[in-house]
Parts: sequence; structure tokens; C-alpha cells
Amino acid sequence: MDITLNEEQTMIATSALEFAKGAVNAQQIRDLETTVDGFDRAIWHKMVDLGWAGAVFPAEYGGSGLGLFELSLIIEALGQGAVPTPIFSTVVEAGLLLVDAGSVQQRAYWLPRIADGRSILTTAIFEPGGGLLREQVSTLVEPSADGFRVNGTKLFVRDAGVADAIICLGRSKSDSDALSLVLVPKDTQGVERRRLWASGGEALWEVTFRDVEVPADALVGLAGDAWSHVEQLLLRGAAMKSAELVGIGQAALDLTLEYAKTRRQFGQPIGSFQGVQHHCTEMYRDLTVCRLLCWQAAARLGNVKNAAREVAMAKAKTGEAIPALTRIAHQIHGAIAYYRDYPLELYYHRAIAASAAYGDSGHQRRALSRLLRSELATFQGEHRHELSVHPL
Amino acid sequence: MDLEFTQEQLEFRGEVRGFLTRELTPEVWKNHRDQSEQGMWTEAFTKAFRRKLGAAGYIGMGWPKEYGGGGRSRIYQAIFWDEMEYFRAPGLDRSITYVPNALLAFGSDHQKKLLLPQVMRGELAWFVGYSEPEAGSDLANLKTLAVEDEVSGDFIITGQKSFSSDAHMADYGWVAVRTNAEMSRHRGVSLFIVDMKSPGVEITRYQTLAGWTHHSVYFNQVRVPRSMLVGDLNEGWRVVMGAIDFERAALASHGLVGFQLDRLLDWCVAGHDGAPPQIEDPLVQDELVRLAIEGEGTRLMTYWLASLHERGLMPQHETSLALLVKRETARRLDVAGLELLGPFGPLRTGSPWVQLNGEVEVEYRDRLYFQFAAGGFDITRNVVAQRGLGLPR
Repeated sequence: MDITLNEEQTMIATSALEFAKGAVNAQQIRDLETTVDGFDRAIWHKMVDLGWAGAVFPAEYGGSGLGLFELSLIIEALGQGAVPTPIFSTVVEAGLLLVDAGSVQQRAYWLPRIADGRSILTTAIFEPGGGLLREQVSTLVEPSADGFRVNGTKLFVRDAGVADAIICLGRSKSDSDALSLVLVPKDTQGVERRRLWASGGEALWEVTFRDVEVPADALVGLAGDAWSHVEQLLLRGAAMKSAELVGIGQAALDLTLEYAKTRRQFGQPIGSFQGVQHHCTEMYRDLTVCRLLCWQAAARLGNVKNAAREVAMAKAKTGEAIPALTRIAHQIHGAIAYYRDYPLELYYHRAIAASAAYGDSGHQRRALSRLLRSELATFQGEHRHELSVHPL
Repeated sequence: MDLEFTQEQLEFRGEVRGFLTRELTPEVWKNHRDQSEQGMWTEAFTKAFRRKLGAAGYIGMGWPKEYGGGGRSRIYQAIFWDEMEYFRAPGLDRSITYVPNALLAFGSDHQKKLLLPQVMRGELAWFVGYSEPEAGSDLANLKTLAVEDEVSGDFIITGQKSFSSDAHMADYGWVAVRTNAEMSRHRGVSLFIVDMKSPGVEITRYQTLAGWTHHSVYFNQVRVPRSMLVGDLNEGWRVVMGAIDFERAALASHGLVGFQLDRLLDWCVAGHDGAPPQIEDPLVQDELVRLAIEGEGTRLMTYWLASLHERGLMPQHETSLALLVKRETARRLDVAGLELLGPFGPLRTGSPWVQLNGEVEVEYRDRLYFQFAAGGFDITRNVVAQRGLGLPR
């Protein structure tokens, strides 16, 4: 037990933050948010050069073999700098899904391309009817003459406009319990995309598949066996979005403290008023709890342990607390931060977008409720007492 | 970053759980619980139990070996405190937690050699004399005076300490006094160890709204040898502040919160005569989930602080933050407990139909002190804002 960053982790966090703060300014971020791509390739390639695209891939595929915990430190820093990147689509979703479930050929082809920045990849999981639970998936992935045929509509697909391929989740008509993943290359006939415009700057898309044909070797993992891989993808997404939320919260707190120390009213800095001090402590309190929960979620996922409980707790807490924190940050700033040229709004938007991704707070708490009802021991965690010690 | 216990730490935890299970049997609970005492165990049993802790080697296991300590890491100490709180065991108070830690940090070699071995054997009980009628949140306003007797070099203390937990059973007092009235408020304070058997010490009792007794301590020309001055003369504020960081770290332990949550979970699963178990209600499930998340945050904070201590990083405002999180979470659990018990909530111990032996109700009253003692919630928020976040005074 040692809940502190080691030397290497401190270095990763420090250099990531240095990069994130200098990579792009607030005006550039706002401009990027209105582009179809949503991010700047040149900035992404700088991150690639730092080794972040392949950070968590095995060395044989051009990666550095770092853990999810280290990736969470990088993502926290990117959240703090509000840097638009395709790291979620390409690394957290598709890249690690291929590490997890891809065939030897798929891994050998795609992972080095992600690691050296040649490829953007994404996944298509969510649908109008949901996608965080297996029964919500209605897109069809059925065997066809030469492989598989895909039909359905996917939502909130990250970076679909520039992705070289989309890994799509669907079910078989004959066996509705059998879910499969297929890799659909860019420009395959029958794929249509519409850009969604959402708060927070991520490039999200609707992707429609109409009688899309892919070959048999497009299958990722075993036919009918995809859900366990998707569950892991969703856990990784939730854990990493929690880390991003911590970065967002830290940025909002930093801006607020700076403002509270310098803004003077009634002849003194507003940070000397108890009302303001108490708000700031509450922000810092929640942020610290969030960060500890995130550290635990990422470290446990990286250790290939059952991390469903820990990830759900982290996302449930950050998903609620960090947006609340940004609202208080705005309250302390008053009217000045209501204007677009003040950077706080970036975090205000990003907080709600990150909260909504990979299961919002309510979804995570429902997942914990299910554990509570069906697996009390898992709900209570590894440190539970075996027997009630209530003596009376 | 390592959020897992080592195998050795897990074994130690298992050993502590075993010890507490063996020692605190239902018969022991029946015979030695006493709601008229702070901590709700009889004075005699608390003192006897502390000696058992000493004999088992659980006191001072993190102290340096030169003072008889176990030289083990802070993580072990945190595990021990965590389990003691979970089992609601007697004797886990200032006498074995933060007073000896502060003594180690600020005491003279003479004081450490004289007192620490007795502390380690569980023989000593302490009271802490900070608050006074006019010095609560504004501690620097303390007025109890110590005047040097120029002939003997002793100090003569006169004044009153208030809200002095467990003073009636204390062997020693850890007492902040003013030794120079001319100096600014934060200077001119000194810290003395006072033998409570000294002539001139008088204790009065008050009953709290939770039903246990609490004390004021009067010092009437009480003579204390200079060798019992902790740190330098007039520089006691630094000692008090350092001791308070140890105090907050000790009180921030997670165990109580873990126990409250488990007790509530058990009750919601089991239900009671004539009603379906509460756990089937989705609103109850969501409340328990939310409480469990806060409980997990509290647990992580406990071991985060211990990790910082272990690395020699001397957490300061972090201890205040952790205490705030722990106590607010405990209070939230107190409130949630009453709400879940519904109409049974207000039934007191001994009443027909009382649930959980009335503990939820008595603790709801008792732990009101969490909101104001050892730095109230609001003062703690100021401390964190000023010491931790650098906001101006």
C-alpha cells in the first residue's frame, strides 16, 4: 500500500501537464470545436511523438507497455488542458479492444499504425435504444455469403469522420444473445455518417450501416462472444473519462483560486470571505475524493482484476461532483466567466460531456445497485469484513 | 502507486481482526458497555483493554525502536486504527494515538524515555487541554497562565480548561498555557505535561445530550516542573499545531464509517418482523450505493494520509480535509440510518420494538460533536482554504 505517485509516474504526470497546458490555447480550442474533425492532426502527432498513442500497447506493436494507470495520468492532464484529441476513439476504445480481442493479423496491422500516428480508429457501440447493456443492442451483424452483413444505426461514435475503420457491435438475428464485433473500413459501401454537435468539443457522429458487407476476417474476437470485450471497453472508457473529469475539475479549481486571490471587492480579495473559502474547500474536497477513486479504478483495471465496482464508484462520483464543481466555480467568478473569452466555460461544457460518456452517474449507481442485490460481497469490496461484527 | 495491501499487511489485518473478535465477545459487550461514558465503555474496562493492546504489541508499533517502538510502517498503524474503529473497541483515543505521536515529534529525550514505555504498555490515560471558555475555535485566545517560580524553576499554572474529554480518568494532561502575556497571540504560548494527581487540579462534570459525562478542568496554582515543558518556552503554538495534525490524521480513520455502512446494509437486507426488507426498495438501494461511494472515498483518504506519513511528507491541511470527509460521511450515515429506520428510528435503547438496540438513535445524538469538536466543520473549511489552498486570511 502506497497511495502516492512514484518517480516515473510523477514524471509522466508533470510532462503531460506541461504539454497539455502549452499545446493549444483557449481560442484555438473553440475554433477546433466548430470543425468537422474536431481536433488538429498536428497536435495529435505531437502526442504521438511523446509516445502516448501507443503508451499502453505491448512493445511488439510499437508501444511502451505502460499501464492504464499511467494512461489515466496522461488523460487527466489532457482534461486539464482541454486538449481536443482522438485518444478516446483510437486508444481507449479501438486500440485496447484490439489488444484485448483482435486477431494476430488485426493487431499486427493496426496497432503499429495507431502507435505511430498513421491511423485513427473508432468503435460503434451505442444506439438510439442504448448500448451500455447487452439487451439494448439492436444493430444486426449476420453471417452472409462472404462474411458478415451489418444493418443498424449507431450514435455517439467518436471521430467517425476521420477514422480509417469503425469496429461495430451487433447481434445475430437467429440468436439474439450472440453479439459480435466487426471491423468496417472507411469508405465501405453502405456506411453513412452525420456529425452530431455536442457540448464539450468531442467529434461525435451518427453512423448508419445499410447492408454493409465485410469479409469473414473482419470479425474481432469470436462470433457471438463480443459482450465481455465490450464490457471491458466500457469500463476502460468510464475509468479514463473519470480521470479526464478530475483534470477538468482541477482546471476549474485552479482558475477559481487564482480569481479568488486577485479579484478585489469591498476593499479585499474575495477569497478572504468565508463564503468563498468554504466553496473552494468543498471543490477541493470533492476533487480529492474523485481523484483517489479514479486512481483506484485505473490501477485496478490495469492489474486485470475485477474492477467493475471500483470503476462504477469512480464514474458515479466524478460524473456528479465535477459538473457541480464547475457550477460553483462559475458562481465564484460571477459574470466575468459568463463570457466566451474567459476559459472557464470550456470546462463547464466538458464536464457535462465527460459525465455523459460511457455511462452517466445514474447508470453507474444502477450498476452498483445490481451488485448490491446479486453479489453483496463484490459490492462491499475486497476489504469487507467476512462476518457482521455487530454483537447485540 | 500501489492501492493493494501486501500479503504481510493482510496477515496483520487478519490478526487484528482475530484479536478483536476474541476479546470483544457478546458477553463482554453486555457486561462492559456504558452509555454514560464517552466511547460507551466503562472506565475500568477501557483501561484494562488498553493494557491488553499494549501487551499484544499494538501500541507504538510505528514508533522508532530506540523508544521501544515496533519500527513498523505507518500503514500498519492505519490498519490497526481502522480495525479498532470498525469493532468500536475501547481505548482508541488520544492516549495511544496522537499524544504519543506529538510527544515523539516535539518532546524531550527525558519525556520520551519517561512516558513512552508506559504509553506502550497501555498504562496511561491522557486529557488534552486546549479549549477554554473564551478559546474555542479561536484557540490563540487562551488565557490559562503559567508563571515561572524563579526559585525552583517550576511553573505555576492557574486557569480553566473546558470541554475536556476523559479528564476524569487521565493520568496526565497535555496542556497549552500562556507563558508570556506581552507577546503576540500566537507566541507566548507553551505546552506542558501536567500530572493530574498534582495538588490544585479540580474536575467538574457535565452531562452531554447523548447521556455521557464531560468535564472542565480547573488549575489552581498547580506546580509543574520545567522538565515537563514540551518544546521551547513561548513556542508552544507550533507544538499545538503539529499535534493537531496528528490528531486529525488519527481521527480521520475510516473504520467507523465502514462499520456504520455494514450495520445499515445488514439491517436493510434482514428487515424486521412484519415488514419486507428495505433493500428491495430502489430508493434505499440508491442511498446505500451513494453512502458506499463516500465510504470508499473515506477509506482511500485514510491510507492516502498514511502513505504520505510513511513517505515522510508530513501532511498538514490534508489531515483536516480527511477528517472533514470522514466526519461528514459518518454524519450522513447517522442521518441515513435514522431515515431508513423510519418510525422505529427515534426508539431508544431498551424500548419494545427498538431496532439495532437503539444504537442509531444514540449515535445520532452522540456524534453531533463531530460537527464542532477538534475543529468544527466550518473552521476546518477555513483551515483547508487558508493552509491548503492559499486563500488570504
